[in-house]
Amino acid sequence: MKVNVKAFATFREVMDNQVAMEFSGGATIRMLLAELTRRYEGLDKLMFTAPGTLRDFVNILRNGRNIHFLAGLDTPLDDGDVIALFPPIAGG
Amino acid sequence: MLNTEQKERYRRQIAVVGEEGQEKIGSTRLLIAGAGGLGSTAALFAAMAGFGTIRIIDPDCIDETNLNRQVLYREADIGRPKADTAAKALHAMNSLIDVEPVTAAIGTPMARDLIRGIDVVIDGLDNYPARFLLADTAWKCGVPFIHGAVEGFYGQVCSILPKKSPCLRCIVPNPPPVRETPLIGVTTGIIGCVQVTEAIKLATGAGIPVSDCLWLWDGIRQKSDRLRIERIPTCNVCGKDEYQIRAGERMS
Repeated sequence: MKVNVKAFATFREVMDNQVAMEFSGGATIRMLLAELTRRYEGLDKLMFTAPGTLRDFVNILRNGRNIHFLAGLDTPLDDGDVIALFPPIAGG
Repeated sequence: MLNTEQKERYRRQIAVVGEEGQEKIGSTRLLIAGAGGLGSTAALFAAMAGFGTIRIIDPDCIDETNLNRQVLYREADIGRPKADTAAKALHAMNSLIDVEPVTAAIGTPMARDLIRGIDVVIDGLDNYPARFLLADTAWKCGVPFIHGAVEGFYGQVCSILPKKSPCLRCIVPNPPPVRETPLIGVTTGIIGCVQVTEAIKLATGAGIPVSDCLWLWDGIRQKSDRLRIERIPTCNVCGKDEYQIRAGERMS
């Protein structure tokens, strides 16, 4: 199963803009983030307050839908999914 | 009808939007919420474009840390109220338009009054509590809200069209904490200009507004992206509205 991860705004300071990921069996957002934080130093601190606790304001969209309103970190992935990671920015 | 002075002043722009388009810009009443980096850039270009009325609100006075990005102000303006100073600068730029300065913070009782008579809101605010208050009110009043935000070299824009696009709470369900954001003037300039581009498109009907997706700017890589965002069915603001998205407005 292949999914495409896109990172935006300040997340790009610690990871690639786009990452193609492959999983041999079923996978979830939690598994995807575990792999990404293993791969990119500094991402863990930007995304999590403690292991398994996502920072509130980190937006993770699965095909345009925010995982806060799906199954959170346990949201399952399907082949071909596009996962967007972006921290909303606030300044004016 | 445009008079002779208007036809001459806006001649190069009329070549783009037509006399009818210029008349529409002239009859559009803008609210620019915040007279900081985004708001001052947006107000400057909106005034030059000839938006007939610009209402600009900000509670603060100018300080020297504003001068790296807030293009309407000069060193001699330090200590003066932003809204009044912005109004004078805009009027000096274009005496054919009306500018209404409001020195106040956006609060619950006055948000509706602030939007009364307004056709389009440009978001130049620096925090989400104020953005949500104004964006929710604009949604309820059926007024488009052109969201913009910046940090460092990054920016984002979305034209929130009541009953046609997701609302601001669907785009940013959990806002970041309020803090002093690192900012560089070129980014507020770029994003403020993109917001006025959206306002011109909404006023004239030109092109397709950036709604139903978040337009993201990355100045480090000089690259923009569109991030498709779906509304949240349980959203307290827009979840109950019947949607009228035309096929052409859905972008990804």
